[in-house]
Amino acid sequence: MKLRKAFITAAAAVILVVWSFPVLWALLTSFKTERDVLAYPPKLIFAPTLANYTDVLFGSASLLPNLWSSFIVASFATALAMLIAVPAAYALARLEFPAKQGTGFYVLATQMLPPVGLIIPYYLALQKLAALDTYSGLVVIYLTFSLPFAIWLMVSYFEDVPREMEEAALLDRAGRLRALWHVILPQVRGGIAVTTIFVFLNAWNEFLFAVVLGGNRVRTVTVAMFNFISVEQTLWAKLAAGAVLAMAPVILLGLLAQRHIVKGLTVGAVKGGGRR
Amino acid sequence: MPTIAQRERRFALMLLAPALVVLVLTTTAPLLYLLWMSLQRVDLSMPALSGFAGLDNFARMAGDPRFWASLWLTLIYTGATVVMQVFIGLLLALLVMQIPRGQGALRVAAILPIVLAPVVVGLFWRTFVLAPDFGIVDLVTRWLGLGSHNWLGDPRLALMSVIAIHTWQWTPFAFLVILASLAALPPDIYEAARIDRASAWQRFWRITLPLIRPAIVIVLIMRTMIALSAFAAIFAATGGGPGTATEILNLYAYRTSFSELNLGYGASLAVVLLAITLLISFAMFTLRKAR
Repeated sequence: MKLRKAFITAAAAVILVVWSFPVLWALLTSFKTERDVLAYPPKLIFAPTLANYTDVLFGSASLLPNLWSSFIVASFATALAMLIAVPAAYALARLEFPAKQGTGFYVLATQMLPPVGLIIPYYLALQKLAALDTYSGLVVIYLTFSLPFAIWLMVSYFEDVPREMEEAALLDRAGRLRALWHVILPQVRGGIAVTTIFVFLNAWNEFLFAVVLGGNRVRTVTVAMFNFISVEQTLWAKLAAGAVLAMAPVILLGLLAQRHIVKGLTVGAVKGGGRR
Repeated sequence: MPTIAQRERRFALMLLAPALVVLVLTTTAPLLYLLWMSLQRVDLSMPALSGFAGLDNFARMAGDPRFWASLWLTLIYTGATVVMQVFIGLLLALLVMQIPRGQGALRVAAILPIVLAPVVVGLFWRTFVLAPDFGIVDLVTRWLGLGSHNWLGDPRLALMSVIAIHTWQWTPFAFLVILASLAALPPDIYEAARIDRASAWQRFWRITLPLIRPAIVIVLIMRTMIALSAFAAIFAATGGGPGTATEILNLYAYRTSFSELNLGYGASLAVVLLAITLLISFAMFTLRKAR
């Protein structure tokens, strides 16, 4: 019995290392000099340096504009998605209207379209509108995956609100809109926060749309990281510092929303594909 | 004076309208445009030849060995990654349920791969994990006396490597969902089974597995969908290469459209991918409802 427990604990420790390895390794490497990085066997103890960070942030190939681009695109896409998704989710969760099932399924189905299938039409459409390599173009395209996700996650939070709450509000002769604003929305504040975090996280991590529809002006950090390796393949420590900067926001947000991550990951599926 | 039902309907429409307009414009309209494009000849390197082509693109596909190879790779990639994620995820979740302390640390660690951008994960594996003579895996195999390998550059190893990358990043997803489902099981069923002298194996097959099956099915469906649209990690790790060794349908459609600038053929490849995705998701949802 003791042996078994020891084995399980050891196995758990191995998994822990395997999963956290990239983040820890990148962090470690980012403080090394390029010479220390190449040492064999790898050094775990070394004189740390901040040179990689100053280089990646303020050097000739600074990542700052890219971090800024990512921040702008992800923030606006998230804000817009939430603004549109919250009312829609409330309608889907609580109101009666014709073709409600079909509408819910439609929202879910739009999420299943493979991005590679949509990227050609997007490219041609943005080209026609002269919106390639613009913030507004990329933000609108990001709605295609942010919006269905946000709607479905918010639906699950609206459904948790006790029905009596809004019935009471409606009896008070408050208009429906006012009831939604003053009574229902405060109830789902937590859900809105969690949804915002996940939508932002997905937008920050997006790559395919950013690399095809972006360019010199709008180059998100994921695209910059990709270019970094093709240009400066051997500068490992700088690459690690860049990776840490690109990863830091999503890791912080992920840890912040840690308890809700299972719900965020399985949104939509739990409902049986729009079988509502 | 409108009735209450009418007013509710009007209110719902008002709340839903912006979302529906945006979704129609950004998903349905492009989808129709894609279908139309797949019937066109649009080759930006030979613009003079553009025009309606009927089903020519699809006819060309039938005789295109690169298409069949990419289709095959898509099925292997999807099948292998999904099966491994579910299997390893389930195993780990069962294992972790046995340890009273330290579950929290594993839950936190499980989040790390999930929240990372797939493109960053692909880059990280290409450099720090799999690079010959430098990556950690190569250090381990050399240390074990298995020698150094070009994990992503050798056509025989590259597919295995990109499958490993995907599995590494997304097994925590399966793990977390299944663990949550396990943790929600009522403990008293086990007590009853223990009194009945059921073996651990019997307890697993007869009690645990049927109870957590909904969670496993959810993981299966979602991971299949995601694996079918996988792009960034492979793109960053191998770019579909060496040659076409890791060129799943997504990569082939992308390369055809944006490297070879043959948008018409690229669109028809994307249509096939779309059809496969819809077919598989339809089959999975039907199976799930039938049970």
